[in-house]
Amino acid sequence: MTNLMTTLLMQSSTAAEGPTPKTFWLPEGASTFAEQNDWVFNFINYINYFFFFLVIGLMVVFVWKYRQKGREVYARGPNHNTLLELGWTIIPTILVVFIFFIGFRGFVSMKTVPANAYQIDVTALRYGWVFKYPNGATSEDLYVPAGKPVKLVMRSEDVLHSLYIRDFRVKQDVVPGRYTTMWFQADHPTQGEDFHDLFCTEFCGTGHSNMNRKVFVLAEADFDSWVVEQGRWLDKIAPEELYSKAGPKLFARCAGCHTLDGKPGTGPSWGNYDGSGNIWERTSKAASAHKVSGKSVSELVGAGKQYETPEGYLRASILNPNEHIVDGYGPAMPTFRGQLSDKAIQALIDMMKHLDEFDAKGNFVGKK
Amino acid sequence: MSHSASHADSHGHGSHGHGDHAKYPFLAHHFDTPNQQFESGKLGMWVFLATEVLFFGALFVMYAILRFKDPQVFSYAANYLDTILGGINTCVLILSSLTMAIGVRAAQTNKKGLLSLCLALTLAGAIGFLVIKYFEYTHKFHLNLKWGQAFYQPVTEADAAAAKVEAKPVENPVLAISSPNPSAGASTVSLASPPPADKTAIAAPKMGPDGVATTEMVEAVDKPVHAAHPEGPHLLDPDMPANTHRFFAIYYIMTGLHGIHVVIGVGVIGWLLVGSLRGRYSSDYYTPVDLVGLYWHVVDLVWIFLFPLFYLIH
Amino acid sequence: MTTLDTRPIHDEVPGNYLTFRRGILSWIFTLDHKRIGVMYLVAVLVSFFVGGVMALLVRTKLLFPGEVEWMTFDQYNKAFTLHGAIMVFLVIIPSIPAALGNFVLPIMLGAKDVAFPRLNLFSFYLWIMGAICAVYSLIAGGFDTGWTFYTPYSSQFSTGGTIPVLVGVFILGFSSIFTGVNFVVTIHKLRPPGMTWFRMPLFLWALYATALIQILATPVLGITVALLVVERAFNIGIFDPVMGGDPVLFQHFFWFYSHPAVYIMILPGMGIISEIIAVHSHRHIFGFRFIAFSSIAIAIFSFLVWGHHMFTSGQSPLMNVLFSAITFSVAIPSAVKVFNWLATLYKGSISLNTAMWYGLSFIFLFTIGGLTGIPLAVLSTDIHLHDTYFVVAHFHYVMMGSALIAMIGGLHHWWPKMTGRMFNETWGKIGCALVFVGFNMTFFTQFMLGSQGMPRRYYMYKPEFQIYHHISTGGSYIMGLGFVITAIYLLHSLFAGRKAPANPWGGASLEWQCTSPPPHDNFSVTPRVGDCYDFSAVSWDEKQQGYVVDVEAHVAAAQSGKGH
Repeated sequence: MTNLMTTLLMQSSTAAEGPTPKTFWLPEGASTFAEQNDWVFNFINYINYFFFFLVIGLMVVFVWKYRQKGREVYARGPNHNTLLELGWTIIPTILVVFIFFIGFRGFVSMKTVPANAYQIDVTALRYGWVFKYPNGATSEDLYVPAGKPVKLVMRSEDVLHSLYIRDFRVKQDVVPGRYTTMWFQADHPTQGEDFHDLFCTEFCGTGHSNMNRKVFVLAEADFDSWVVEQGRWLDKIAPEELYSKAGPKLFARCAGCHTLDGKPGTGPSWGNYDGSGNIWERTSKAASAHKVSGKSVSELVGAGKQYETPEGYLRASILNPNEHIVDGYGPAMPTFRGQLSDKAIQALIDMMKHLDEFDAKGNFVGKK
Repeated sequence: MSHSASHADSHGHGSHGHGDHAKYPFLAHHFDTPNQQFESGKLGMWVFLATEVLFFGALFVMYAILRFKDPQVFSYAANYLDTILGGINTCVLILSSLTMAIGVRAAQTNKKGLLSLCLALTLAGAIGFLVIKYFEYTHKFHLNLKWGQAFYQPVTEADAAAAKVEAKPVENPVLAISSPNPSAGASTVSLASPPPADKTAIAAPKMGPDGVATTEMVEAVDKPVHAAHPEGPHLLDPDMPANTHRFFAIYYIMTGLHGIHVVIGVGVIGWLLVGSLRGRYSSDYYTPVDLVGLYWHVVDLVWIFLFPLFYLIH
Repeated sequence: MTTLDTRPIHDEVPGNYLTFRRGILSWIFTLDHKRIGVMYLVAVLVSFFVGGVMALLVRTKLLFPGEVEWMTFDQYNKAFTLHGAIMVFLVIIPSIPAALGNFVLPIMLGAKDVAFPRLNLFSFYLWIMGAICAVYSLIAGGFDTGWTFYTPYSSQFSTGGTIPVLVGVFILGFSSIFTGVNFVVTIHKLRPPGMTWFRMPLFLWALYATALIQILATPVLGITVALLVVERAFNIGIFDPVMGGDPVLFQHFFWFYSHPAVYIMILPGMGIISEIIAVHSHRHIFGFRFIAFSSIAIAIFSFLVWGHHMFTSGQSPLMNVLFSAITFSVAIPSAVKVFNWLATLYKGSISLNTAMWYGLSFIFLFTIGGLTGIPLAVLSTDIHLHDTYFVVAHFHYVMMGSALIAMIGGLHHWWPKMTGRMFNETWGKIGCALVFVGFNMTFFTQFMLGSQGMPRRYYMYKPEFQIYHHISTGGSYIMGLGFVITAIYLLHSLFAGRKAPANPWGGASLEWQCTSPPPHDNFSVTPRVGDCYDFSAVSWDEKQQGYVVDVEAHVAAAQSGKGH
């Protein structure tokens, strides 16, 4: 029955040439779930078309055929018909039971994570995603191996988010305070710059519609080498090039809340916004006008004070951001402890020191 | 099914029901007979009480969920509640229900003096309940046995020093954020450390995939020995389970909401007392007494569930 | 017969509920259910327009996929949240029960008023207080959590207007509860002789089922928002994971009310459609008992399915399976009602008045809305569709395309009775057509947007979706135009409409047997009850330009056992 339905209703074959193409209703299907479950959607659709045209058709016919003639009022028609009523109750019931069942089967498969799944840890935050691979590599976008089941173990830093990859037909809420999991298997590598969309689909605040990311499916060999490269990318950069090469990539994670050119955002701009200079200038100046926790930042930074050096203060701002909050802002910044290595933090601080060499979007443009 | 409307055809137009309405000044214009009015009022009150059951019911469900999740919290924190005062309150409420019921009977049998007496006694019981509650609450507030982060503020300087507690952010390794609710205004929470060896006393933070829990705890050094049934500071108690603040949150919410209903009861019973002293209620018309009686019995019933759930079960 | 007030309209009717006492105080302190219904109607319609403006703001922004200067992310989030909260709490939930139900129920039942008129007035003032809280919340900083207030966003973050609006929702909940209490007691205790349960019109069955839900579900909403307020103000730690709480618990509490709430919205609408279809087809409703029982069944089952809003929330797969399976139990009675209405059209004598146009629109739109609920109830397809525009389209088809359309249809159906005026039928049909076409343009495209993967509550979107949004926004303007036209001709009719006869459409239920507008106390003598769907005793009276019911024949026909 399933095979018959599949053959009748699928609009393309599921041979291993590529993802199923986009149809009128559904986007391209790039995972095994799409192949397995799209037919359920289409089947329901056809049943819906049938009942819709049946009901509307009858309605139109009746309204035309039985329209009032003059002021005639008393129309004699049946008040009930047990057989008919039973029929139109039982038949839809049987239909919905069948529909429930096919949906249930697809669901069971989506909830049963294969034992050999490749695990990727996901952190959702306002407003971005961090994907962490078994070797410690992290990435902003999701790279997955083709042909293998992939399991995502997800946690949130702050509020509810939801990870949705529409081409894979998968979605799972990311709940703070616990871990949620989902899995999928994508069999067709993405070509070149092509990617699948990853959306957040649980309202999480201002940037909810601005935390889309990309999903790349790589053939197994390509994926293995990517993961290794990704894990080592920071290590391979020479210290003097850390800020120019690593800075922009790492800054992408900060860009959701911090601008570089003084424009307002959820967090204080790294650029000059209050007259006290850019982030490095205002932290390192001896008598800074920049106020933090009600006092000038210079009271916190310096010999004998809480932070010996401005680097120490900036590092603490990244790892323990709510200890001192810049005046005029709230405690909205999550900690990046565990997500940014010492070297990554060093790269960011270096970038702050050379902020004039970056454009407003965070691209390195060199000294002017 | 409709048995309570009167037949009007014999009266002709316009005069239906006027006889009844003239005879019974308390009969509202849209009711045909006093009996219909009384039955409607009664059904209305029962339906309203059903909504109250759902109202408190949702909180009982919340209680059950919290208790199921952290049973050690409930066993532990129940020690802080004064069972004797709670028991007195229970007796006071039950007695006040009794006087209320006698009052309703008095109204039914036209004993107006007895009615007023019973209403006065019920009112006294209600007020007595509130007074005892006031003492219970203030006693707890003095010990900072409150909700949320207030629970974790040391009560005295000595306590703060004794526990060597610094204002320290609560870290949840799954969340890895260090600040609680910004809109509540408070910024940090202090926690005394339970000894790490006692696993059941620590709220189990889930381990991350890399197997590291990052909850930091302050070692409490040289703390005084703490008695099991504490009058002493809960912060210094090494056996206090984490998340104990949730017990007090649900305690105040449920007993507080119940208390609000008692206050409403005081107002309504007071209004009845005034009316009864003016001779308003008789065997002809005692509907308000009956309905308020129903309300009061349900308020009592809610307390009869609350008392064992909070005070008695350990 | 002198027991009924069917004097010809060209005689001056001595007085009706509108003229009974004059002056603003007589309205503010009125205990007359008809006046209270009118006040509710005005209040609800004003809120509808405010919520509609919010919707147009949202739709206008969505013409552009990227950022625009004239609306920031936060303003957009507040706009759609306000749209949702106003429409759900201030408009749709009270609309039919409080505005139309208050007016029609006692008269249709044969009573002089509801059981507790003062409670009724109090319910109205509670609504006003809730609305004031909602307005205040705008001044206090607005709120942008979505009308669902999910934690921890609503308990930890969000903006300053969140607590005031939650307080407003709490108060509105009690307005709804007291209306429900009133209706239950009225239907049980104030029926005249002969008005058995199975002689009661289906609108009253629907209101009764709705009242059951209002009574049992709304207190849970009250506690939920109260807990959220306490959580937000004091951080007690039940929903906030930092303090040991569970965000998903909030969702369970919230949807335990909010799913039955959607049946508060639709059941009265279905009741109205039963009335409209029967009366304007001049034919006995088909399957009376089924429709009556199905309303109660839907009310009961609606309490068991809340988890189908939470399939991806992290609740256990077992719960997902159970909720999905039970959800179909509420789908079947709704579908069968549609078949019953179709069968009522069969061999009818259908007059295509504006009210009937709305009734037929309902059948069209509810069919789509109901059928699109199926892929949402089915587990594997819902994973893809949840939190996308598909859901938005589905609920607009059932909440707006069905419940609201039914309300407007009912408004037209009972307009002559309420106001004593006839509106212009031609403009009525134009308005209906514009709303119908605009609605489909707006929301049918959203099904496609959703199944193609566009998430909801999105300020920015991928350019590939833009064409759908253009059509959708265009439709929304057409729909808005239709509503404006409707408002205009209805208001116009108050001043210049033809005076309405007692029974312009030929109905046989009791409200058509008193004057239009009704007298202050509805019935001066106890009304006599027949079969409200038996039109054998109804005939057209040329002089009145309306229909007349021969009461003796009507009652006799019922007693001779012609029945359902």
